[in-house]
Amino acid sequence: MVQVTVDRDLEDLIPGFLANRQRDIEKVEAMLARDDFDGVRITGHSMKGSGGGYGFPFITEIGAGLERAAIARDADSIRNAISELRHYLAQVEIVYR
Amino acid sequence: MGINDTSTPYRVLIVDDDSDMIALLSTWLKGSGFSVITATSGDEALTRLGMSRPHCVLTDLYMEGMDGMTLLSRIHATNPLMPVIMLSGQAGIPEAMKAMHLGIAAFLTKPVEKETLLANVSRALRLSSDISEARPKFGAGIIYRSTAMAELLEKAELVADSDITVFISGQTGTGKEVLAKAIHEASPRRDKPFIGVNCGAIPEQLLESELFGHERGAFTGALTRHEGLLQAANGGTLFLDEIGDMPLGLQVKLLRVLQDFEVRPVGSTRSVPVNVRVISATHQDLAEAVKRGEFREDLYYRLNVVPLHMPSLAERREDIPALLDYFLDRVAQKRNAKKKRFSPEALEYLLSAPWPGNVRQLMNVVELCTTLTKTDIIPLSMAKSALREEPAGIQTLKVAKDAFERNYLIGVLRITNGHVANAARIAGRNRTEFYKLLAQHHLNAAEFRKGGAAGADEPEPGDDGVAEDAADEQRDA
Repeated sequence: MVQVTVDRDLEDLIPGFLANRQRDIEKVEAMLARDDFDGVRITGHSMKGSGGGYGFPFITEIGAGLERAAIARDADSIRNAISELRHYLAQVEIVYR
Repeated sequence: MGINDTSTPYRVLIVDDDSDMIALLSTWLKGSGFSVITATSGDEALTRLGMSRPHCVLTDLYMEGMDGMTLLSRIHATNPLMPVIMLSGQAGIPEAMKAMHLGIAAFLTKPVEKETLLANVSRALRLSSDISEARPKFGAGIIYRSTAMAELLEKAELVADSDITVFISGQTGTGKEVLAKAIHEASPRRDKPFIGVNCGAIPEQLLESELFGHERGAFTGALTRHEGLLQAANGGTLFLDEIGDMPLGLQVKLLRVLQDFEVRPVGSTRSVPVNVRVISATHQDLAEAVKRGEFREDLYYRLNVVPLHMPSLAERREDIPALLDYFLDRVAQKRNAKKKRFSPEALEYLLSAPWPGNVRQLMNVVELCTTLTKTDIIPLSMAKSALREEPAGIQTLKVAKDAFERNYLIGVLRITNGHVANAARIAGRNRTEFYKLLAQHHLNAAEFRKGGAAGADEPEPGDDGVAEDAADEQRDA
């Protein structure tokens, strides 16, 4: 379990945010299948920009990694990043303060 | 937060094609009392602007379709005063500089922290002229848009309304005296004098007399009593610029004044109570000067109660367009001429120049460019040439000498209460020469006399004026 502390103000937004990250995993896998590295880059860029603000710096790191890997057209790194994100989302536990 | 302490909350338009960012920023802003309007594209933002009239726009840089930069240009084409804050996941220098050139209120990097965002939105709204203030804005004469200056002025405003001793550090030409004046104007002492003195521009012997005053006969040429600036500033503020240049002997005397609130004029056995707020400034590293034994440690700590640091112009580049605009405007008004402007290439060049002479250098460059350019647009070649001519705000030898001479003349006139014969004697010149010097510097001795021409400068017995000049001239022949 990975425990993350999030502002109580954002409690209503968190389920939607995490659901969108699940959708990002599916989107990136589909983009990778058709070599749409630009699409992966844009998705990573968005993830990088929003993760930290919501209280998930790890998601920002994953997003930055996806963006870099997409620019380098490094499919293996993209797959690794997605795998890490999937694993993270499966075990993250939110504590509101 | 403060900015939203009104019955009608300020409206912020958020523009981002990422729904998660819109949700996050909306929650933060609404939680702080702002009213929020959202748009997921530049086109939608322009529509919302027309309908909802927000007070501030917060936009992402990279969006599909119209990007943030284009949106900024479109907004400012019709509403140049609308504060626009740019958010970007990539703080590239070219984009940030271009955005500065276009007049953004702030450039924030994602992921952005809540406190940073709210602080910048509040600041942008405060700077916006759409907000009417019940009282004069602190530092109203200081031109800035940068976060660095906003943070400095916030801190300065907090200490202005007290008697706390302030120390301003910063490179030459950054505006330390301007800040000191702003603090004075915002203080309870605003109706009392603000007196500034450059401790580095006045010879040591004159500086002691200038600051602490002297009794009649205290030294050769001291034929009248002189009050001194500490007494002249009583109730007000004394600004000691280049305090690092103050000789050690005078530092002891100044420390005593700051501790005992009394001043003892040169040659006097009595101390006079004074109530003065001291603001000091220097471009030197005073802590290092203390280590070298050139500045007293006890005085350093007495002066350095609240340290403020003026950023160099290179540290606040986003202020350059506003500063250039201000000085261009000032020059046009002074000359009663059409306002000139820099070409986009010239502006970009000036934005990235090193500016070792800071705001003073920038002002000189504007003066030079507007003087030498006959057209309304100042080209890149002129900007380059002006920066070469004015490489570090370093004055020519003649200009530096003139400035020193003027300060010296003002010093002796103050000490002698405008008595030309005495002032000339101290300066080692005959009166005719001294009058010529005064004329060269457009100085009028009468302005330094208290009580007008019938005051303390009445000719001393035997002071024949003409005869004295003749005698001086004969001797010098």
